[in-house]
Amino acid sequence: MSLFHYANSIYGGSETLIGANYELLPWFALAGVGFAIAHAVFKAVTAPSKPR
Amino acid sequence: MQMGEEMTAGSPADRIERHKSVDRAYHWLMAVAMLILLATAFLPILGLKFAWVDIHWITGLVLTVLVLFHILRASFWQNFWSMMIDREDLKDPFGKPGKYSLAQKLYHLAIAVLILGAIASGLLMWRKVDTPFWQRDPYWLSTDSWGVVYAIHGLAAMALVTMVIIHVYFALRPDEWYLTRSMLRGWITRKEYEDHHATKRWSAKD
Repeated sequence: MSLFHYANSIYGGSETLIGANYELLPWFALAGVGFAIAHAVFKAVTAPSKPR
Repeated sequence: MQMGEEMTAGSPADRIERHKSVDRAYHWLMAVAMLILLATAFLPILGLKFAWVDIHWITGLVLTVLVLFHILRASFWQNFWSMMIDREDLKDPFGKPGKYSLAQKLYHLAIAVLILGAIASGLLMWRKVDTPFWQRDPYWLSTDSWGVVYAIHGLAAMALVTMVIIHVYFALRPDEWYLTRSMLRGWITRKEYEDHHATKRWSAKD
Protein backbone atom coordinates (compact mmCIF):
# COMPACT_ATOMS: atom_id res chain seq x y z
CA MET A 1 0.00 0.00 0.00
CA SER A 2 1.48 3.32 -1.10
CA LEU A 3 1.46 6.68 0.70
CA PHE A 4 0.36 8.28 -2.54
CA HIS A 5 -2.26 7.90 -5.27
CA TYR A 6 -1.23 7.85 -8.89
CA ALA A 7 -3.19 7.99 -12.12
CA ASN A 8 -2.30 7.54 -15.73
CA SER A 9 -1.73 10.87 -17.40
CA ILE A 10 -4.58 11.82 -19.76
CA TYR A 11 -1.92 12.80 -22.24
CA GLY A 12 -0.59 9.25 -22.22
CA GLY A 13 2.72 8.03 -20.95
CA SER A 14 3.79 7.85 -17.34
CA GLU A 15 1.85 7.70 -14.11
CA THR A 16 1.13 11.04 -12.44
CA LEU A 17 1.03 11.70 -8.72
CA ILE A 18 -2.46 12.99 -7.85
CA GLY A 19 -2.41 13.05 -4.06
CA ALA A 20 -2.21 11.17 -0.80
CA ASN A 21 -3.70 7.71 -0.37
CA TYR A 22 -6.68 8.31 1.93
CA GLU A 23 -7.13 4.56 2.44
CA LEU A 24 -4.34 5.06 4.99
CA LEU A 25 -6.56 7.29 7.18
CA PRO A 26 -7.61 4.45 9.54
CA TRP A 27 -3.92 3.56 9.98
CA PHE A 28 -3.03 7.13 10.94
CA ALA A 29 -5.88 7.12 13.48
CA LEU A 30 -4.77 3.72 14.78
CA ALA A 31 -1.22 5.06 15.11
CA GLY A 32 -2.51 7.76 17.45
CA VAL A 33 -4.57 5.32 19.49
CA GLY A 34 -1.71 2.81 19.52
CA PHE A 35 0.72 5.42 20.81
CA ALA A 36 -1.72 6.38 23.56
CA ILE A 37 -2.18 2.78 24.65
CA ALA A 38 1.56 2.04 24.54
CA HIS A 39 2.34 5.17 26.56
CA ALA A 40 -0.35 4.43 29.13
CA VAL A 41 0.93 0.88 29.58
CA PHE A 42 4.53 2.09 29.84
CA LYS A 43 3.62 4.69 32.48
CA ALA A 44 1.57 2.14 34.44
CA VAL A 45 4.38 -0.44 34.39
CA THR A 46 7.14 2.03 35.30
CA ALA A 47 5.18 4.00 37.93
CA PRO A 48 6.81 3.83 41.36
CA SER A 49 4.93 1.30 43.51
CA LYS A 50 2.79 2.91 46.23
CA PRO A 51 3.72 2.00 49.81
CA ARG A 52 1.27 -0.55 51.35
CA MET B 1 -6.69 15.16 43.25
CA GLN B 2 -9.88 14.57 41.24
CA MET B 3 -10.54 16.53 38.03
CA GLY B 4 -13.18 18.76 39.68
CA GLU B 5 -10.84 19.61 42.58
CA GLU B 6 -8.11 20.34 40.05
CA MET B 7 -10.19 23.14 38.57
CA THR B 8 -10.35 25.12 41.83
CA ALA B 9 -7.09 24.06 43.47
CA GLY B 10 -5.07 26.64 45.37
CA SER B 11 -5.97 30.08 46.58
CA PRO B 12 -5.38 32.99 44.17
CA ALA B 13 -2.18 33.82 46.05
CA ASP B 14 -0.85 30.30 45.31
CA ARG B 15 -1.47 30.57 41.58
CA ILE B 16 1.19 31.07 38.93
CA GLU B 17 -0.03 32.40 35.60
CA ARG B 18 0.87 29.96 32.80
CA HIS B 19 -1.30 31.11 29.89
CA LYS B 20 -2.85 34.54 29.43
CA SER B 21 -6.48 34.71 28.29
CA VAL B 22 -5.53 35.75 24.73
CA ASP B 23 -3.30 32.68 24.40
CA ARG B 24 -5.98 30.38 25.77
CA ALA B 25 -8.50 31.90 23.33
CA TYR B 26 -6.02 31.30 20.52
CA HIS B 27 -5.58 27.66 21.56
CA TRP B 28 -9.30 26.88 21.76
CA LEU B 29 -10.18 28.76 18.56
CA MET B 30 -7.42 26.87 16.78
CA ALA B 31 -8.72 23.59 18.23
CA VAL B 32 -12.24 24.29 16.93
CA ALA B 33 -10.86 25.29 13.52
CA MET B 34 -8.74 22.13 13.37
CA LEU B 35 -11.69 19.89 14.23
CA ILE B 36 -13.89 21.57 11.60
CA LEU B 37 -11.13 21.21 9.01
CA LEU B 38 -10.53 17.54 9.81
CA ALA B 39 -14.27 16.81 9.85
CA THR B 40 -14.94 18.56 6.54
CA ALA B 41 -11.88 16.88 5.04
CA PHE B 42 -12.55 13.30 6.10
CA LEU B 43 -16.27 12.80 6.76
CA PRO B 44 -17.08 13.01 3.02
CA ILE B 45 -14.28 10.53 2.33
CA LEU B 46 -15.76 8.23 4.97
CA GLY B 47 -19.17 8.40 3.27
CA LEU B 48 -20.99 11.34 4.89
CA LYS B 49 -21.66 13.51 1.85
CA PHE B 50 -22.34 17.21 2.30
CA ALA B 51 -21.27 20.55 0.82
CA TRP B 52 -17.94 20.74 2.61
CA VAL B 53 -15.72 22.80 0.32
CA ASP B 54 -16.78 26.30 1.35
CA ILE B 55 -16.79 25.47 5.10
CA HIS B 56 -13.34 23.95 4.63
CA TRP B 57 -11.61 26.82 2.85
CA ILE B 58 -13.23 29.50 5.01
CA THR B 59 -12.15 27.66 8.17
CA GLY B 60 -8.72 27.19 6.58
CA LEU B 61 -8.45 30.96 6.23
CA VAL B 62 -9.45 31.37 9.88
CA LEU B 63 -6.73 28.89 10.88
CA THR B 64 -4.19 30.76 8.73
CA VAL B 65 -5.01 34.06 10.48
CA LEU B 66 -4.87 32.40 13.90
CA VAL B 67 -1.48 30.80 13.19
CA LEU B 68 -0.08 34.11 11.87
CA PHE B 69 -1.32 35.78 15.06
CA HIS B 70 0.37 33.09 17.15
CA ILE B 71 3.69 33.36 15.29
CA LEU B 72 3.73 37.16 15.72
CA ARG B 73 2.70 37.01 19.36
CA ALA B 74 5.15 34.25 20.24
CA SER B 75 7.94 36.11 18.41
CA PHE B 76 7.40 39.60 19.84
CA TRP B 77 5.23 39.43 22.94
CA GLN B 78 6.18 36.14 24.52
CA ASN B 79 9.39 34.28 25.29
CA PHE B 80 9.98 32.71 21.86
CA TRP B 81 12.86 30.58 23.19
CA SER B 82 10.70 28.85 25.80
CA MET B 83 9.45 26.53 23.03
CA MET B 84 12.88 25.94 21.46
CA ILE B 85 14.84 22.77 22.24
CA ASP B 86 17.99 23.71 24.14
CA ARG B 87 21.10 22.06 25.57
CA GLU B 88 19.46 21.47 28.95
CA ASP B 89 16.66 19.51 27.27
CA LEU B 90 19.18 17.25 25.54
CA LYS B 91 21.40 16.86 28.64
CA ASP B 92 18.50 15.78 30.84
CA PRO B 93 15.48 14.96 28.63
CA PHE B 94 13.38 13.53 31.48
CA GLY B 95 14.40 15.96 34.20
CA LYS B 96 12.46 18.99 35.43
CA PRO B 97 11.92 21.24 32.40
CA GLY B 98 11.47 24.96 31.99
CA LYS B 99 7.99 26.07 30.94
CA TYR B 100 7.73 23.23 28.39
CA SER B 101 9.22 19.73 28.52
CA LEU B 102 11.28 18.25 25.68
CA ALA B 103 8.29 16.09 24.74
CA GLN B 104 6.06 19.17 24.49
CA LYS B 105 8.66 21.01 22.43
CA LEU B 106 9.04 18.05 20.05
CA TYR B 107 5.25 17.79 19.74
CA HIS B 108 5.00 21.53 19.03
CA LEU B 109 7.73 21.26 16.38
CA ALA B 110 5.97 18.36 14.66
CA ILE B 111 2.56 19.98 14.70
CA ALA B 112 4.00 23.32 13.51
CA VAL B 113 5.59 21.60 10.48
CA LEU B 114 2.37 19.72 9.70
CA ILE B 115 0.06 22.72 10.12
CA LEU B 116 2.32 25.02 8.11
CA GLY B 117 2.54 22.36 5.38
CA ALA B 118 -1.24 21.99 5.34
CA ILE B 119 -1.74 25.77 5.29
CA ALA B 120 0.82 26.40 2.52
CA SER B 121 -0.58 23.63 0.31
CA GLY B 122 -4.14 24.60 1.21
CA LEU B 123 -3.57 28.21 0.15
CA LEU B 124 -2.34 26.94 -3.23
CA MET B 125 -5.35 24.63 -3.56
CA TRP B 126 -7.59 27.61 -2.76
CA ARG B 127 -6.88 28.80 -6.29
CA LYS B 128 -8.92 25.86 -7.57
CA VAL B 129 -12.04 27.00 -5.69
CA ASP B 130 -14.60 29.63 -6.78
CA THR B 131 -14.49 32.37 -4.14
CA PRO B 132 -15.76 35.96 -3.83
CA PHE B 133 -12.16 36.99 -4.72
CA TRP B 134 -11.63 34.97 -7.94
CA GLN B 135 -12.92 32.32 -10.32
CA ARG B 136 -11.22 28.98 -9.93
CA ASP B 137 -8.20 28.31 -12.15
CA PRO B 138 -7.28 24.61 -12.22
CA TYR B 139 -4.46 25.35 -14.68
CA TRP B 140 -2.62 27.72 -12.35
CA LEU B 141 -0.14 24.90 -11.68
CA SER B 142 0.80 21.92 -13.84
CA THR B 143 -0.79 18.53 -13.22
CA ASP B 144 2.44 17.25 -11.69
CA SER B 145 2.69 20.26 -9.38
CA TRP B 146 -0.93 19.88 -8.26
CA GLY B 147 -0.14 16.26 -7.45
CA VAL B 148 2.67 17.31 -5.11
CA VAL B 149 0.48 19.98 -3.48
CA TYR B 150 -2.40 17.52 -2.94
CA ALA B 151 0.00 14.87 -1.61
CA ILE B 152 1.49 17.28 0.97
CA HIS B 153 -1.96 18.47 2.02
CA GLY B 154 -3.39 14.98 2.34
CA LEU B 155 -0.42 13.48 4.20
CA ALA B 156 -0.25 16.46 6.56
CA ALA B 157 -3.98 16.15 7.22
CA MET B 158 -3.81 12.44 8.05
CA ALA B 159 -0.76 12.99 10.27
CA LEU B 160 -2.70 15.74 12.06
CA VAL B 161 -5.39 13.17 12.91
CA THR B 162 -2.66 11.15 14.66
CA MET B 163 -1.35 14.24 16.43
CA VAL B 164 -4.79 15.36 17.63
CA ILE B 165 -5.48 11.92 19.11
CA ILE B 166 -2.13 11.99 20.93
CA HIS B 167 -2.76 15.54 22.17
CA VAL B 168 -6.21 14.70 23.56
CA TYR B 169 -4.75 11.60 25.26
CA PHE B 170 -2.13 13.67 27.08
CA ALA B 171 -4.68 16.34 27.98
CA LEU B 172 -6.84 13.68 29.65
CA ARG B 173 -4.04 11.93 31.59
CA PRO B 174 -4.58 12.53 35.32
CA ASP B 175 -0.91 13.42 35.85
CA GLU B 176 -1.28 16.15 33.20
CA TRP B 177 -4.63 17.61 34.38
CA TYR B 178 -2.87 20.56 35.95
CA LEU B 179 -1.69 21.52 32.44
CA THR B 180 -5.16 21.02 30.95
CA ARG B 181 -6.55 23.21 33.74
CA SER B 182 -3.97 25.86 32.90
CA MET B 183 -5.26 25.99 29.33
CA LEU B 184 -8.80 26.50 30.69
CA ARG B 185 -8.19 28.71 33.74
CA GLY B 186 -4.77 30.15 32.94
CA TRP B 187 -2.85 29.11 36.07
CA ILE B 188 -1.05 26.35 37.90
CA THR B 189 -0.50 26.24 41.66
CA ARG B 190 2.87 27.20 43.14
CA LYS B 191 3.29 23.62 44.35
CA GLU B 192 2.70 22.28 40.79
CA TYR B 193 5.16 24.88 39.48
CA GLU B 194 7.83 23.80 41.98
CA ASP B 195 7.09 20.07 41.63
CA HIS B 196 7.06 19.92 37.83
CA HIS B 197 9.36 22.69 36.64
CA ALA B 198 12.94 23.86 37.08
CA THR B 199 12.17 27.31 38.47
CA LYS B 200 15.52 28.65 37.24
CA ARG B 201 14.56 27.71 33.67
CA TRP B 202 11.03 29.11 33.88
CA SER B 203 10.81 32.20 36.07
CA ALA B 204 6.98 32.21 35.86
CA LYS B 205 7.03 35.71 34.42
CA ASP B 206 7.52 34.46 30.81
